[in-house]
Amino acid sequence: MTTLKQTLIRRRLRSVSAPSGIAGSPSDAATFEAAVTPLYDSIVRRLVVVLGDLQEAEDIAQDAYLRAFQSWERFDGRDVRAWLYTIALRLAFNHLRRRRRWLAALRRIAPAPWSDRSDPDLWTAIHRLDVRTRAALLLNVLDGYTQREIATMLAVPEGTISSRLSRARSVLRAALEDGSSQN
Amino acid sequence: MQDTDLKTRLAAIEARAPGAQQPPKLLRSRRRWRPRLYAPAAFAPGLVLAIAVATAGGAIAGFLSVRGYPGAQNPDQPLAGANLECMSPPEAASYLATHGYTDVVWQVETGSTSQNTDSTTQQETPPDHGFVVPGAFLGDGRLIMIVDQRVGATGVGACYGNPMP
Repeated sequence: MTTLKQTLIRRRLRSVSAPSGIAGSPSDAATFEAAVTPLYDSIVRRLVVVLGDLQEAEDIAQDAYLRAFQSWERFDGRDVRAWLYTIALRLAFNHLRRRRRWLAALRRIAPAPWSDRSDPDLWTAIHRLDVRTRAALLLNVLDGYTQREIATMLAVPEGTISSRLSRARSVLRAALEDGSSQN
Repeated sequence: MQDTDLKTRLAAIEARAPGAQQPPKLLRSRRRWRPRLYAPAAFAPGLVLAIAVATAGGAIAGFLSVRGYPGAQNPDQPLAGANLECMSPPEAASYLATHGYTDVVWQVETGSTSQNTDSTTQQETPPDHGFVVPGAFLGDGRLIMIVDQRVGATGVGACYGNPMP
């Protein structure tokens, strides 16, 4: 028995501008939405912290969500959070590269960032790190991913992640110790 | 600076960061309908009927539109870590029943997507074979479990690529 709802979903999904690889069956979309939608909010928050800009974070999160849907059938089913973070962070890095090029060309000032005023010392300290180091630090400290897993997600050698994390911790330690001694 | 302290403070910053509850729709925006004012008056009743049908259809489609539910095996969800995708449908049904989940809808996908012969059926009993794809709990407490029997199906999760049970 194919229900009316399933038929409608199937028709609507086939109208999505998805590549030919998408199966387009109701179960694909339902499973995708069930697995990915609850993570959307945390993806936006993570991108806000990494990029420091809400508008950019929302744009990239939307792009990541749609790209995740388009490549849903290639997802191996292991860790949907890691998979989504991988897509979103790689998009963010590409976006920053393009933005730098444009800003250099236009000689414009970067957009005003979102900043956390409740913990300004730590916020300032993590924004002294370059964006890739910041992303790696959050993946490691907040999500508990290993250096090897982060290296795979960000497509860099494991040694690079190791040195970034080490540098991040020393920068944070120095900055936070300075902050506490001044208070 | 302790790692636990750093983790707590970073988590607090991320929690205070603005988020967004709703992801983008997975649909194309609808093309704007423009009335053709020069349509002959004889077509007017048909036009009115068509508008009424389209409006009602739109309302039904909106009512029945896709809703997101957390995956039943997602972290913090009731079946987290159950690895149902590695079981045959009867095994999964037995596992679910043992754990008290008896209101299960089995949604069976058959046919071939590439040949446009795929179809979906829902039933109360698990099929004999197929890849189990853990679904989600609906708002009314029912659990949707998907069984993929389509040509070329690969399975998901830990048992991705295994032979079809």
